Amino acid sequence: MTYILGIESSCDETAAAVVIDGKTIASNIVASQIDLHAEHGGVFPELASRAHVEAIDSVVSQAVRDAGIGYAQLDAIAVTQGPGLVGSLLVGINYAKGLALMADKPLLGINHLEGHIYSLWLSQPFKEPEFPVLVLIVSGGHSELLLMTGHGQYERLGGTIDDAAGEAFDKVGRLLDLPFPGGPHIERAARHGNGTAFDFPRALRDGSYDFSFSGLKTAVRREVTVPPSGSRSRRRRGAEKRAQLRSDVSVNDVAASFQEAVTDILVEKTARAAKEHGVSEIFMAGGVSANTMLRLKMRRETDLPVRYPPLNLCTDNGAMIAAAGYFRYEAGLRTGLDFDVLPNWPLSSQLYEMS
Amino acid sequence: MPILKEGELDIISHSAEQTRRLGARLGQLLQPGDMICLSGDLGAGKTVFTAGIGHGWGATLPVTSPTFNLVNQYQREADDQLLYHLDCYRLGSADEVDTIGFDDILDHSGPVVIEWPERIEDALPKALLWIDIEVIEGDRRNFIFEATGDHYQKLIDAFREKAFGF
Repeated sequence: MTYILGIESSCDETAAAVVIDGKTIASNIVASQIDLHAEHGGVFPELASRAHVEAIDSVVSQAVRDAGIGYAQLDAIAVTQGPGLVGSLLVGINYAKGLALMADKPLLGINHLEGHIYSLWLSQPFKEPEFPVLVLIVSGGHSELLLMTGHGQYERLGGTIDDAAGEAFDKVGRLLDLPFPGGPHIERAARHGNGTAFDFPRALRDGSYDFSFSGLKTAVRREVTVPPSGSRSRRRRGAEKRAQLRSDVSVNDVAASFQEAVTDILVEKTARAAKEHGVSEIFMAGGVSANTMLRLKMRRETDLPVRYPPLNLCTDNGAMIAAAGYFRYEAGLRTGLDFDVLPNWPLSSQLYEMS
Repeated sequence: MPILKEGELDIISHSAEQTRRLGARLGQLLQPGDMICLSGDLGAGKTVFTAGIGHGWGATLPVTSPTFNLVNQYQREADDQLLYHLDCYRLGSADEVDTIGFDDILDHSGPVVIEWPERIEDALPKALLWIDIEVIEGDRRNFIFEATGDHYQKLIDAFREKAFGF
């Protein structure tokens, strides 16, 4: 049996897990900072890295303890190397390097997006996929459509040209005065709303596999806000110029119509790409893949099997990093102790071969 | 175009496409170290304007939202310059600019575009180009350019010349 410790700190979760043979979760600890960031309506990097520093030691120790092993039994340590916030990533990387040195274990730098994909290997019962599969990664920072042709082999088909899907949920949540993070709160409001009340735009129906959610956000803004009073007047620098939420607008209807628009376009492009590339399955991962409407529509729109992670593995966690690490470890890949943080690391085969 | 005091320019954009084109005109003029501050609410068009700047400047990749990464940097084929695109919404104060390597960004290796600059106003240099973007209604936006310092006054003049021919 191969024990991999996975450490993740790319954004606002300090997480660690031990995974056996890339598939069985022996422990999975996540210290979420959502409460910390909720009052600000977003993740604040300075707060985030400070919170990571405070949490990481106990999170990692607990993950190893819960797995019922000691550091000596670990086969390797996998840690998120990027993409993400530099300050946050560094906390995990430096801790992992120290641990690797102390326990004399091999170290693997893992791409966060690849981690999301390998969260699919952790759902039970597991059936090995037949490549190629189509992968849709949708989260707060990413919207990527990829063709996965083998372990660690990806071809990027498209991605967002402006805002990420999860970012659109967060920003529309902000417009609707809903708490952070926007995703779950919009989904809850949408349950009581009419999804056809507003005909929000579905952008880029142009045959490409790119996404655009910025215009959608602006369209929502137009429907739900009144301009700040005296909108044409010259404003002082730094003055607060937030538009006010209209009192006569139904938040539930807006949330439902917005959710319809986002999921329509995600499903439409994914289904088309799946057909064009003759894949055997569709994989969805990332925080937005927890959205019930997205899951439902994706299954309805295609005859192919659709996989998505269990809810607790949709958001950032250490188990997915350990699972991705396992396949690198098995392939004989190692990362030296001197590797650096890669805040803008696109997921592509070339970079995978680099290490 | 109303007459404003010297160092200011007032423009109405009627569409996102026009906003992008205005950005492209400005992007063609930017020099290393130039600082452009874009102030406006969610959906005002800050990222659209910056996408235009990136296009005009010659960025090899399309400009996308910097919200998640806080800082995106772009290259171009003409030279070694970098274009920096910052989103300071999630910075609590000017003290936190260290977390995004602000000193390195100010080392004049390329132009810098900042969204939500009011969050870090104390950390900004004196001379800069401040652009207020206000939503009028629908897709119409009011752009007010305000230059501080001779260099940025000249930049506004060159921009007016390029965009409007006078």
